[in-house]
Amino acid sequence: MQGKACDDTVMGEARVRIEGGLAHFPGLAKEQSVSFGDLDSPERQELTILAKQADFFDCSPANDTARPDARTYTVGLTIDGRSREIRLADPIRDPAMAKLVSVVRRLSKRHGVDR
Amino acid sequence: MCTSSHRHSLHCILPPYILSQIAKNGSPEMRAMAVRSLLIDPTIRIVRASTAGPVTGAIARRRAAAGNILTPSPLRTIRDAGGEPEAPGATVVRREGDGPTGDVAADEAYDGLGATFTLFWEAYQRNSIDDAGLPLDATVHYDQDYDNAFWDGTQMVFGDGDGQLFNRFTISLDVIGHELTHGVTEKEAGLTYFNQSGALNESISDVFGSLVKQRLLGQSADQADWLIGAGLLTAKVNGVALRSMKEPGTAYDDPVLGKDPQPAHMKDFVRTNQDNGGVHINSGIPNRAFHLAANAIGGNAWDRAGQIWYNALLDPNTRANTDFAGFARVTIDVAGRLYGSGSAEATAVIEAWSAVGVI
Repeated sequence: MQGKACDDTVMGEARVRIEGGLAHFPGLAKEQSVSFGDLDSPERQELTILAKQADFFDCSPANDTARPDARTYTVGLTIDGRSREIRLADPIRDPAMAKLVSVVRRLSKRHGVDR
Repeated sequence: MCTSSHRHSLHCILPPYILSQIAKNGSPEMRAMAVRSLLIDPTIRIVRASTAGPVTGAIARRRAAAGNILTPSPLRTIRDAGGEPEAPGATVVRREGDGPTGDVAADEAYDGLGATFTLFWEAYQRNSIDDAGLPLDATVHYDQDYDNAFWDGTQMVFGDGDGQLFNRFTISLDVIGHELTHGVTEKEAGLTYFNQSGALNESISDVFGSLVKQRLLGQSADQADWLIGAGLLTAKVNGVALRSMKEPGTAYDDPVLGKDPQPAHMKDFVRTNQDNGGVHINSGIPNRAFHLAANAIGGNAWDRAGQIWYNALLDPNTRANTDFAGFARVTIDVAGRLYGSGSAEATAVIEAWSAVGVI
């Protein structure tokens, strides 16, 4: 971890909306978001590092089409003023991006609020 | 090594050079067996070599002509992703023929793949997903708190659930059958995963997923629960399953999950942009049609009702953009071809589609 990636003052937000899957549950089909201010320092650092490893703000869109029962994720990140939203579908082949989406999904569920 | 005395030497896999050594240096009894094998074996080996692979069509006939009739069997490999979001998982935990691992999810996946293979082979003479012996691969323990299972085009992927709302996704046999049937549909009609053709795609997976379970349990149509995903929801959820084919819209009504949105009739068809145009929502309509047809026909649903739906899936008139009404016409046509246009089976199919408002 170097520089701002491990800086506790990094501000931002993570958002995720999950669609599809083996069944459609109306109660789960909404966006969840979590502010960096609501995360522990290690969680905030993990998100920041994973976003960098996945090249989240600069990568080319994967242009994935959902396979039967695969979920799609609309993931948004705002970190230190940079903001981007991308859409991905399972299975996410890029390991760093898959890890990032997994962490955003779990942190949003644990700490987040419905929108 | 083939050492069992009751096994015929033809069933051995000893290569010719070893047989030659036994013929030269073995005991009199062993030498006689080796010589017999060497005399007979070349024919079989040539046939095997020229026909290695899937057991279908001309290949099956050539094997039969050589007296070498093989019953297709599954070729399963279960991998463990270890909680990482990667498929296939890094570690192979069970291959075909291996004993149980003690890992419940891995063993359920192995058994579920086998039960699905068995239904398609024994009921419909289909040799695996592609009818050409495609190996069946699955990855378990995918990601963390992962509430889903899916077919990625090459393998099954199962999450463990979050333990709050969902149990592990291998727990329901019909879910495993459902996912593998997506592979069959992809190889056959190729129903587009959107709007009505997508809902039909989903329904066909529910139909054969349920039939896998019914057949394993030995349940006739009137004995089956017709639930998809029974056991998947935890005790904290007010619900019994993901879907009910018998009574769409009644599987759950929960403060967190919401209410089961499936319609049971075309008058309640849901138009939505979510869920690929409601593929898991409107599938309730053709699901109920199958349930009604199977119950009216009676007996085991995988027999006549299943034959009609399976043959309709393979029918050239079922295309990528086939909608509910189009598929209903194909099933009626297939029922007439298989059992007669005025048969009880054909009448049951017509009345079932009529009861759900499709025709």
